[in-house]
Amino acid sequence: MPRIKSGIPELDEMLYGGFMPTDAVMVAGSAGTGKTTMALQYLVNGITQSGENGLYLSFEQMPDQIYRDAASFGWDLKKLEEEGKFRIVLTSPDILLAGGGENLLDELIKEIGAKRIAVDSLSHFAMFIDEDKLRLEAYRLICFLKAKGLSSMYLWEAPQLMGNSFSITEVGLSFLVDSILLLRTIEIDSALRKGLVIVKMRGSDHDKRLREYEITSNGVKVAAPFSGYEGIMSGSARRVTSLSEEDLYRKGLIKKNERKK
Amino acid sequence: MASGQEILNVLLANETRADLVTMFRKNPGLIDSVEGVARRIGRTQAAVQEDVAELVKLGVLRSRKLGDREVISIDRLKDKEIQKDVGEFLQNLKPNLQGKV
Repeated sequence: MPRIKSGIPELDEMLYGGFMPTDAVMVAGSAGTGKTTMALQYLVNGITQSGENGLYLSFEQMPDQIYRDAASFGWDLKKLEEEGKFRIVLTSPDILLAGGGENLLDELIKEIGAKRIAVDSLSHFAMFIDEDKLRLEAYRLICFLKAKGLSSMYLWEAPQLMGNSFSITEVGLSFLVDSILLLRTIEIDSALRKGLVIVKMRGSDHDKRLREYEITSNGVKVAAPFSGYEGIMSGSARRVTSLSEEDLYRKGLIKKNERKK
Repeated sequence: MASGQEILNVLLANETRADLVTMFRKNPGLIDSVEGVARRIGRTQAAVQEDVAELVKLGVLRSRKLGDREVISIDRLKDKEIQKDVGEFLQNLKPNLQGKV
């Protein structure tokens, strides 16, 4: 089955080729982890590498700020808009949901023939909807985009992901999406580093390791898995000390006959 | 079709109108209620209502119903035409002004 490539080579490797077509992907992480950058990169790469036009739906950030931030990564969103390949839309969740929520998106999807969409953010969407209706409305949005044949990425601001808590959303939205990428800030040797892990991917195997990533001048760059540390998911990693066989023997952790000749 | 002079008179009739046009041109993807648009330029719905209506009449902005909500957005094509007309008007004005100096 063809995959939907993020265009970030190491991430596509972790996804065993890319996301599944029309999948709803949640990118969860706290502020400053690069969720917006990853979403823009997913859309820009979709246009430039896969010929799939993209829509960026924002409930918070003004488009002029998004153009500016994207330009710092070398992505000329205005040019892509002029070419009819991309649209940034800023609206509020209540307007999106007015009239069934479908009118506004339907028109925009048709206008550029969008195949990918990023929703920034599902957490902002949740702020406008009563908790008892949230799952239903989020489910309706996800199903609508799937029915239109779009692969979608939903950003989720998850401030509680520092420390020991591992709850992605407290309102059960993680059950509605097909895949979850967790972006996490980790303290190692008194410095903050970033780690990415695929928590869930329906219908496909994937790399389960936590890998380091950086936000470079070209966007998100995924590096090697963290090694030599423990307690990474707690947010505060400790280096694993490697003891020599001699040390292990002296500490009584191995017997004399277990030492290599 | 309004002349370049008439268009400029509508666009720059007051500061609120200029702020509205500037915001929508910088953020062409903005789709919001009049109240939401007003908030984004630091004003109230009552203060922008008339100016939004004038810009809709001129064609720079577009008003439509989404369910029971009225929403405002920029009309990208019409705005391009208007910018072209204003540009031509200012271009023609230039030699006349130079002649007067």
